[in-house]
Amino acid sequence: MPEGRAPGSGPWDIGFGEEARAMVEMATVSRPVSPNGEHRPRTAGTRTAQRRSSLHAGESKMGVLMVIPTVAGIVVFTAGPIVASFALSLFRWNVINNPKFIGLSNYRSLVHDSVVLKAFFTTAIMAVSIVGLQLTLGLVLAIAVERRRGAQLRKLYRAAFFFPLMTSAASISIVMGYIFDDHFGVVNYYLTLLHLPAVPWLGSTAGSVVTVVLVVVWQQLGFTFILFVAALGNVPQELIEASAVDGASSRQRFRKITLPMISPTVLFAAIVGLINSLQIFDQPYIMTQGGPGNATNTVVMTLYEAGFEDLKFGYASAISVFLFVAVLILTAAQFRISRRWVYYSSAEGA
Amino acid sequence: MTPQKNATPGEGNMPSSGPIDGARPGTSRRDFLKIAGGVGLAAGVVAVAPTTAWASKGFQVRRPSATQVQLRMAINAGSPNAGQKALAASFEAETGAKVVYEAYEAVDWNGFFAKVLTQLAAGVPLDCAYVATEGMQLFSHSGLSMPLDSFVMRDKAELKPYFADIHPLLTECEMYQGSLMMLPTEFNAGDLYYDTTLFEKAGIPRPPDDWTEADFINIVKHWANVQDVGWDWVVRLWGSWSSWMYANGSNLLTEGKYGGGDWLWSTFYPGQPARSGGWHWGEPTANAPGTVEALQLMIDLKQQGISPSPDAGGGGTLQGLFASNHIATTIGGGFWAGGLYEAGMKPNAYDVMYFPKWKVQKHLIGVGGFTVLEKSKNHDLAWEWIKHSTTADAISTVYGPRAPDKGNTSTPARRSVLSAAGYAPTGPKHWDVFYGTLDNYPNTTPIPAPFYYEALATAFLARTTQGFSSGNAQSALNGLQADLEKLYKA
Repeated sequence: MPEGRAPGSGPWDIGFGEEARAMVEMATVSRPVSPNGEHRPRTAGTRTAQRRSSLHAGESKMGVLMVIPTVAGIVVFTAGPIVASFALSLFRWNVINNPKFIGLSNYRSLVHDSVVLKAFFTTAIMAVSIVGLQLTLGLVLAIAVERRRGAQLRKLYRAAFFFPLMTSAASISIVMGYIFDDHFGVVNYYLTLLHLPAVPWLGSTAGSVVTVVLVVVWQQLGFTFILFVAALGNVPQELIEASAVDGASSRQRFRKITLPMISPTVLFAAIVGLINSLQIFDQPYIMTQGGPGNATNTVVMTLYEAGFEDLKFGYASAISVFLFVAVLILTAAQFRISRRWVYYSSAEGA
Repeated sequence: MTPQKNATPGEGNMPSSGPIDGARPGTSRRDFLKIAGGVGLAAGVVAVAPTTAWASKGFQVRRPSATQVQLRMAINAGSPNAGQKALAASFEAETGAKVVYEAYEAVDWNGFFAKVLTQLAAGVPLDCAYVATEGMQLFSHSGLSMPLDSFVMRDKAELKPYFADIHPLLTECEMYQGSLMMLPTEFNAGDLYYDTTLFEKAGIPRPPDDWTEADFINIVKHWANVQDVGWDWVVRLWGSWSSWMYANGSNLLTEGKYGGGDWLWSTFYPGQPARSGGWHWGEPTANAPGTVEALQLMIDLKQQGISPSPDAGGGGTLQGLFASNHIATTIGGGFWAGGLYEAGMKPNAYDVMYFPKWKVQKHLIGVGGFTVLEKSKNHDLAWEWIKHSTTADAISTVYGPRAPDKGNTSTPARRSVLSAAGYAPTGPKHWDVFYGTLDNYPNTTPIPAPFYYEALATAFLARTTQGFSSGNAQSALNGLQADLEKLYKA
């Protein structure tokens, strides 16, 4: 921090800090008082300062007004339901009768519920697989596409990889369900044509998990792909060129320059990917309904079933609180671990 | 292009052709508002025009007045079909009330019930809900449904022709603890559909009514060596391996009956053996030998390549595969007739027969009708709606041959509505099998749907697919037994 600057006047102090100074200024300038305590006559300078101050005050009010819709939206649609879920998790409520307070009973049941615990385990396996594949494939594809020479071809590839992300997960799941159908599916049809054995994509425990993961990765790959395309474009070429002149191999250039430079993007993609993957619902719900058995039953599916099929809304809320805490802990852990490997250039902050 | 004198605005690169032109700015905000206003006005005129045209042709557009009573009813559909709209229109004309359908689309009944219950919890003032056997005890046990006993006895003279036209088994299916909860409007018995084209191609004649499980196996094994599938079904409580469980003399839950209901049987079915006050579903028997044997039979058929892994859900995929001549046999109810015809199947391209005998020749059944919701503030009007929806005309219009858009979407509960003429456009040829299942097989029993049906359906699905994945029915059904015991004791 530069010397002589007041505390709190760092780079973040450009909005409210100035407003506050303007308000202080308004307070001191609007009522000019002489040394003997009498009000001095207003000069042209004080009038200008007054106008500026009232302008600042108006802007301040306008700023608050403009923030209100966003804050209201967060309170009503995000914070409200979270608090309501916490509260509801302490009740037994089947929608039909009045809720009954049962304390932590739902949580005690939850930790002994083998279906829910299995769902947490399945979700964790899926999330790790999805995030790992998305990061790896997204980066590989981004590098491969950005190395293509034709600009039009690069645009075409970008659009092609991004396209599934814009399609509804429900539609994709229905179509993929047909494609991977054990008996009538296109994939097994071609495997049979090649004299290969048909694979129980959705009919076996391992096959169904793998198929769901592949479908999710295929659909959401465009997100990490586009992030990496943008990040690779921001890697300073002079560093790459300088290292090449110094004799660094392409592998060394990637490991020592490119990867550190795009590490903040990797962290962002990993965090967003993990949060999304822990909430996976559409694909397994539509493609397998959680089966076979409970092989693809995810946490959000058990939450949905507990709430909307078994009508145990208190229990469903307890599952959602559990999931919320799990996501919070994992995200915090990711941030903490990221200190060891994420590199921020000076322009991006410490 | 050089601007031309007297050219029509918009032609070529005229000064007014776009904002790029510097001589005149593009459309000003004022102009834009004028244009938008004009377009809006024109759109309004266009929107109103058809209404005016309909009005001039004698159709009246009814708008609810401030004092007009609204009757809100939940139905399991994306939107009401033409038959349901016609039914509502005739009721509105009769009573002056406004019928509002709350259409909740779901893959299967459990999804629909979940939506209805959450809407009720959210304070949506529903008066009636369409409920099938799957949810009858759920709605009755929880106090959501109102018993119709007092209404039925009050209007018994008016209702005698109705009950005379309804098989007593259907009525018994709508009883809970001695009270009548719904008047049946439709039912579906789990009969067996077959593709006549595939059967003819294979030189297989239609089996006799008393055919057996062994006959069935012999027939479907034929298709194991050709591309077509011999047998397919959907994982759900109605019409899946549960049909084989019934034919094997077994069940998921102990079958029992409630007492009571004499008031109804003596009033409307005099001279017939008295029936019960409804089915009572007792202790779970999901891992009983007969139940295990039924599921294992399905698993074996799949492992022999006779049957694919069954899908879960409403059966749309199965219907599509059957309609495109990919499946030789499957379980279906009367609702399949309209569905197959709609999917492009010719009336004589398929037919229906009774489900085969294994240990017994026993069919499962599901019955549907409107229930009056206890919290409704319009009980009397809701009852009038129920009577209105159970007339022969109404049932024929919604489910039967008189449906305006597509007919035979279910099996009409009233015997008189079923006829050869009614099934001629859609098939099947042996349409008499539908009501014949009730008449000829007195052991026909509703699906085991206790008040905890929602959780039961979830467990049934998970354990069935587990059985197919592991190939071990005993292990999967031991799990189902444990699940159901927990639900039964809760």
